[in-house]
Amino acid sequence: MNEPIKNIVFTGEWLWLGNLGHAFTIIAFIAAIASAYFYFQHESSKNNSMLQWAKRCFQLHAISIVGVFVVLFSIIFYHRYEFYYAWRHSSNALPVYYMISCFWEGQEGSFLLWLFWNALIGLVLQRSAKEWESPVMVVIAFAQIALGSMLVGFHWGDFKIGSSPFDLLREQRPDFLNIPILGQLGVENYLQVFKDGNGLNALLQNYWMVIHPPTLFLGFATAIVPFAYSLSALWRGSDRGWIAPAHIWSLVCAGILGLGIIMGGFWAYESLSFGGYWAWDPVENASLMPWLIMASAAHMLIITKATGRHLFTSHLLVQLSFWLVLYATFLTRSGILGEASVHSFTDLGLSGQLLLFLLAFLALALVVVLQGKQRKIALFSILAVMLIPMVLAYSIEAPTSVETFYQWLKGLGTCLFFGWLIYYIYVLYQRTKMEMSDERMDSREFWMFLGSMFLILSLVQVFAATSIPVFNKLFGYKTAVPTAADYNKVQLWLAMPIFLLMSLGYWFKFRETDIASIKRPLLVNTVLTLVAALLLTIGFAIEGYQFILFLVLTTGVVVFNMVYGIKKKKTEWKRWGGNISHIGFGILMMGVLVSSVNKNILSSTKEGIDMAPEVDQKGNQDNKGIKFNRENQLLYKNKPQVLQEYTAIYLDDRKGLGVDSIDKYFRVAFVKKNEQGKTIDSFVLEPKTQNNPKMGLLAEPSTRHFLHTDIFSHVNYESSMDRKEPYSNFRIDTIGFFRPFITQTGKVVMTIDSIRRTKETAGLKLVLAIKAKRLGDSVWLRPEFMINEQTGDFEMKAAENDRFGIMANIINLQIIDPNPAHQNILFVIQTGEKTPVWDYVVIQVIAFPWINLVWAGTIIMVIGFVISVINRIQKQKKLMV
Amino acid sequence: MKPFHLILLVLAGVGIATVISMYGNTTQYVAFPDAKRIAIENPGKAVHVVCKLNKAKPVIYDAQTNANRLEFYGFDSLNNESKVIFTKPKPSQFEQLEKMVLIGTYQDDHFLATEILSKCPSKYEDAPGAVKSSK
Repeated sequence: MNEPIKNIVFTGEWLWLGNLGHAFTIIAFIAAIASAYFYFQHESSKNNSMLQWAKRCFQLHAISIVGVFVVLFSIIFYHRYEFYYAWRHSSNALPVYYMISCFWEGQEGSFLLWLFWNALIGLVLQRSAKEWESPVMVVIAFAQIALGSMLVGFHWGDFKIGSSPFDLLREQRPDFLNIPILGQLGVENYLQVFKDGNGLNALLQNYWMVIHPPTLFLGFATAIVPFAYSLSALWRGSDRGWIAPAHIWSLVCAGILGLGIIMGGFWAYESLSFGGYWAWDPVENASLMPWLIMASAAHMLIITKATGRHLFTSHLLVQLSFWLVLYATFLTRSGILGEASVHSFTDLGLSGQLLLFLLAFLALALVVVLQGKQRKIALFSILAVMLIPMVLAYSIEAPTSVETFYQWLKGLGTCLFFGWLIYYIYVLYQRTKMEMSDERMDSREFWMFLGSMFLILSLVQVFAATSIPVFNKLFGYKTAVPTAADYNKVQLWLAMPIFLLMSLGYWFKFRETDIASIKRPLLVNTVLTLVAALLLTIGFAIEGYQFILFLVLTTGVVVFNMVYGIKKKKTEWKRWGGNISHIGFGILMMGVLVSSVNKNILSSTKEGIDMAPEVDQKGNQDNKGIKFNRENQLLYKNKPQVLQEYTAIYLDDRKGLGVDSIDKYFRVAFVKKNEQGKTIDSFVLEPKTQNNPKMGLLAEPSTRHFLHTDIFSHVNYESSMDRKEPYSNFRIDTIGFFRPFITQTGKVVMTIDSIRRTKETAGLKLVLAIKAKRLGDSVWLRPEFMINEQTGDFEMKAAENDRFGIMANIINLQIIDPNPAHQNILFVIQTGEKTPVWDYVVIQVIAFPWINLVWAGTIIMVIGFVISVINRIQKQKKLMV
Repeated sequence: MKPFHLILLVLAGVGIATVISMYGNTTQYVAFPDAKRIAIENPGKAVHVVCKLNKAKPVIYDAQTNANRLEFYGFDSLNNESKVIFTKPKPSQFEQLEKMVLIGTYQDDHFLATEILSKCPSKYEDAPGAVKSSK
């Protein structure tokens, strides 16, 4: 089958465009290798011409990446469906501003985006890294080689490197060339059939999805820079010059990644129907994990910079956050999460390669940290021997006959991996440990260190829970993925000490603090916090000791940092960065608490089935089952329904714009009245459903934003989803001309007025004209009856009238007198009336109080990061001069 | 040196305790009979059951009677059959679901699911419809 296809000249393909893109990919790949080589040579020989070559090569690499980007965009823009990527991820109907979203629906596009950001970061580093350029750029170029390999798309039999975005549709899906219609057109003209693409996932067609993924990816990409500085420092021996730039980049990364994560939450809140912004979904966790560690690392770097302590922990955390980025990529892109996540990504069969990618960086780190050639060589050969089977075991489907052997191999590989990791950490510790005097509890570094440790504890729980699908795969377990409640229970308590340390930390000085001098301000702050928290507890109506404690501590974060800033930094706004970030984080967490604890399901109802007891025999509150019941209410069209303080009325529905729109908007009015019956608030929400042929019913919520609360609504079911017969009340009459007969309810009176006979090729066609009368109004119904005179078969076609809501159908004929002139025919006529339909929607309405604090806190936090970064860069420049 | 190391040790302890308690809380994917047993031993504990819809028996959902009740029969991975009641509206294309994960507890004669995680068979796949519509 493959042979003849090769000889066919396909018409209308723009193969040159794909070849151009592929050429750019290969140039970029080779330029990255060359750049890494020259930078490496420069670092070892200090030969300046090498540096020039390295710079040029990297610039060539960056230009080529832009080239790949432009080519892929052109393919999508010009709807070149001969390319699989365009066919798979876009369609003719896709607006230009969503075309960019096609890049992150597919893996190849995502890797391309990552390459693009890395290339940009590389160009920035070429200008800013100064004497650190060579070693840092070796690491960046190494990453580009690894990422580039994912896009090259080489195939040798079953073995493949990467997956090219320029693969052809007919090569990816040869089965499409066998579809019957091509038999007539000729296979070479297949493009005349594939005039439209498969389309972009409907969930991605949202403006937040244009901005959230690139932000998140930029956050991921920047995580490599502190990592690169850490490795460079280890490579050059114990040099502390890396800490300042690594710290700046860690702040950049934490700021952008934090923003990207919350943007994703905002997208989920605005356009997904789970009713919230955070669900502890593995994909969300995957982006949270590097952030937690990057935030921790940023603090650790401050300690190391100020006091020289904890150099080992700084190195470790900076590297860990980058490995977590790689791990996140592996989790979300390898398909291992499968059913554990609502965000499923297709598996391109790259798991083995992704794993190799992760291991390659670990190997790089190990090589750098070790000293002495023999050890490197020995270790490398051992690893090579050990790792190859492990990667093979993951990437190739195990034949059943050797399954146990594969399991064993996997287990061995895993043990070796952890052994290697522990050995690496041990060597790193040996190299970076330092003898220091005892840590003083009255020093700022002590409290900061403790705070960082709690961030790590938080990570440990998220990591352990998110990795369950990985452990299942590794050891063949069948552990179920934890629910959001399992996470909340733990994280609630882990967050509290962090808040406490965020409040107190700033008041201590590095090395040692005169406790007497801070006693008074701390006392004043505590009193202020308690007063503010008391007011807030009443204002927000928070109940439950753990939530009140949480609120007190988040209030503390805001108060302590605010007072510290005012007292110590006054109007020197550039020094406010850290405090502002802390304040923003405090507000963010306060918003998280209030909007989730006091979330009010307006549509909850008392009716419903008997549920599991809310309190079990031991008297413990059962918080797992009961809460989720009765969350939806049915609203009949035009019938007001009380939803707590609101009265909701389902007004009508309308189709989305565009002829073939599959969107349906339900207009639901909400009215709130005060005790005097005066309307104090009214608004209309338009939750949307999309009957997507590929994904089923997609519900897009509609939300009314107030300053202090959000009213969130989405449709879960609607009347047109019921499968109902359009007509009922059937009645059969056998009747001749001009004799009145009625429908079942007697509301409509009908008479057969005339008949028209036409001879057609299929036989004799009879059309009756039936006059239907109702209260002085009348309409005509024209049912058809077709007789095939040879076979005697007949066909009927009913007539309907929407205004009267009736139908009539000729079921049979009875000929009494064969002479047609006498018109002695009786017709067996079935009449029916429209089934009465009450349109309804099943809707969920939730009030989220003070959710705006979440968004406001995020913005404040990011502003804090920006100020810190500006301040640090300026300080650094002053030092240079 | 001492108190500092002590603190590190305590933190490590907390970390280990957190992880152990979390793993202690997780459930395996179970079959219906196990779910029944767990519901007696440990009332209110939510379990996960991988389930396949029994298409031969009716799926009952009448929004106008109760919008928050879906009743159907399903098979677990060992082919045990059980009645299932779900406390939310019927998910879209429910009858076409190949496999779903039920989260909930066993009660009397039925499994009471408060959550259904499903993967639509056509989700993200190249549906044959895509070829048809391109004509």
